[in-house]
Amino acid sequence: MPSEQRLHPATLLFDLAGHIKRFAVPAILVIVGATRSSGGPGGSFGGIPAGWEVWLLVLFVPAMLVSVARYLSFRLHYDDHELVIRSGLVFRNVRHIPFARIQNVDAVENVFHRFFGVAEVRVETGGGKEEEARLRVLPRTAFDEMRRHVLRERAAGPQVGPDDATGPAPEAAGQTLVHLPLRELLLCGFLENKGMVLVGAAAGVIWESGLGNRLMGQVFGGSDALSRSFFREVMRGIFDGGPLPLARMGLGLAAVIAFLLIVRILSMAWALLRLYDFRLTRLDEDLRTEYGLLTRVTATVPIRRVQTITVRAGPLHRWLKRATVHVETAGGAGAKSAAPMREWLAPLIRQEDLPALLQGVLPGFDVAAMAWQPLHPRAFARAVKPKLILDAIVTLVAAATIGWGAIGVAILLLPWSIVSARQYVKHLAWAESDEMVVMRSGWIWQRMTVARVNKIQAVALHQSPFDRRAAMARVRIDTAGAGEFAHRVDVPYLDSRVARGLFERLSAQAANTAFRW
Amino acid sequence: MSEPDEVADGLDHQLDPRVIPMQRIAGGIFMAVVMLVALAGMIIVLLVGDDLARWQRLLMPVGWLVLAAFAALFASRWPAIHYRHTAYRVDGRGIEIRQGVLWRVVIHVPRSRVQHIDVSQGPLERRYGLGTLVLYTAGTDHAKVALAGVEHGRALRIREHLLPSGAGDAV
Repeated sequence: MPSEQRLHPATLLFDLAGHIKRFAVPAILVIVGATRSSGGPGGSFGGIPAGWEVWLLVLFVPAMLVSVARYLSFRLHYDDHELVIRSGLVFRNVRHIPFARIQNVDAVENVFHRFFGVAEVRVETGGGKEEEARLRVLPRTAFDEMRRHVLRERAAGPQVGPDDATGPAPEAAGQTLVHLPLRELLLCGFLENKGMVLVGAAAGVIWESGLGNRLMGQVFGGSDALSRSFFREVMRGIFDGGPLPLARMGLGLAAVIAFLLIVRILSMAWALLRLYDFRLTRLDEDLRTEYGLLTRVTATVPIRRVQTITVRAGPLHRWLKRATVHVETAGGAGAKSAAPMREWLAPLIRQEDLPALLQGVLPGFDVAAMAWQPLHPRAFARAVKPKLILDAIVTLVAAATIGWGAIGVAILLLPWSIVSARQYVKHLAWAESDEMVVMRSGWIWQRMTVARVNKIQAVALHQSPFDRRAAMARVRIDTAGAGEFAHRVDVPYLDSRVARGLFERLSAQAANTAFRW
Repeated sequence: MSEPDEVADGLDHQLDPRVIPMQRIAGGIFMAVVMLVALAGMIIVLLVGDDLARWQRLLMPVGWLVLAAFAALFASRWPAIHYRHTAYRVDGRGIEIRQGVLWRVVIHVPRSRVQHIDVSQGPLERRYGLGTLVLYTAGTDHAKVALAGVEHGRALRIREHLLPSGAGDAV
């Protein structure tokens, strides 16, 4: 083991590329501007010769010099218990990072990095707003070595019991919890439907360029006016029994189906690029995910930083007996820590493997053994009322605009409201154990969130006037890293005594555990 | 938790009663500003609007008077109602705050989850010797929990009690 290490020489190359990228926009402006220069006889700066803007590129040189200086001055070495980084040529800086404080050692490798066998490494510790050290770029072997150091120290650390005398944690002894083969990967892309994002972006471009109108025109026969008349024809066909433009309707339908298929295929391509060879391994107290075809990401999440786990399953997922699993982590490290971080635990997993995965991440958690508690028996009556009121408003508005047709609207809305409220109440359930509290909800898109009691930040008991009239209450649990729209443990329509009991128990349990990042 | 803290008595406490006159003044100032702005707007409309019918011209001042009466009533009555529905309890485990007249919320923040605490005092609060206790947690919804209208010295003692007194506390 070399006592001191430098960055990989390719650092200079990557810095150069970075500077070029940063200078690209100004450089293009310069080149464009130079042809119509503001200098020269006719320009606004009469005295300066034309093309003076090119000289702005001189700024590029100091940036590169800084890179060279950084590369030359950078030293990295491992002490017994800490990582020591020296940097700076003029202002020298020595930073000691104890291994025990290091939360994460993450690496990102894009195609170019892999060509040189290097990685961009980020060392994160508990405190602070940004990562403790960003090492661009280290040889791949150095990254492995650093990880080994950190892991060994953590294994020997005080937080692990005395039974770790079996020796330092061997690097390769990770237990693979999830691995996505190609077939599952494509399936995942199909189910996630990320293609819509790409299509949205593409649609924006097409719209801007005016290509959209022409496309529409071709499908619907000519011009904008004609395409509008197409819809009018369809409407007349449906309501007044006129002839339907079947051929063009078929064409439109085919276009829609083709579009949806293309979206799904794009999404599969996305999954292939982004999640290629997804692997989740457990190494002692850490979860490590590795994924990506071109840009390979290696991320580590210490299990104790997992705040909540959310399992999602849409209708297609359930039909194929699959689910997706996310974890929410929060705080601790990284500039991004102010925002909650959601990470894949498993982009796609068979439902039969789910209990094992959850066991692996949360020891002692058994979904099957959870005693699910339903809501208050009269929860349906509560849940359906807002929907009925909304229906009434929509129907009244419809009556004011389309007259008797409003009856049709009401006939469509009412059964849907009743059925969806019934199913919502039926699928909402909660369960608790000494260490976890779980909530599941959703009829068509089902979600289940597990929060560990020692990650509870605050417990709240809400009672609206309607709740009080029905002697009900809502219990809400606040955890770190729950996003605004994240699924969280928030149980409505509970019997107020049950709610009070749950509130008291959770408060007591949370107070009896220490919170660690 | 070595010696029993006097604030951590585990009993429900109401706010300091002085919060009622204080909030009356604060609410009164707020309402007065709002009603003065409304009055100014009304006068401008009355001066500029030539095509207003006579009944419209009469209705506006009457409407303003009714609104002003409601505002005055609200500003004078609400603080007492609010006072009755606010309570807090501090014990060895943490703090429980209950608030809300119509929509009621009880929040429990465990002592070990408190990141830091502010005790702030506005100009009116200083006059009445009151303070606002603001608890910060690492959560999302309740990342900031405020309790206004506690006697200032007491707020400081609650802060002393809740702040983690050392590593390994409350494990």
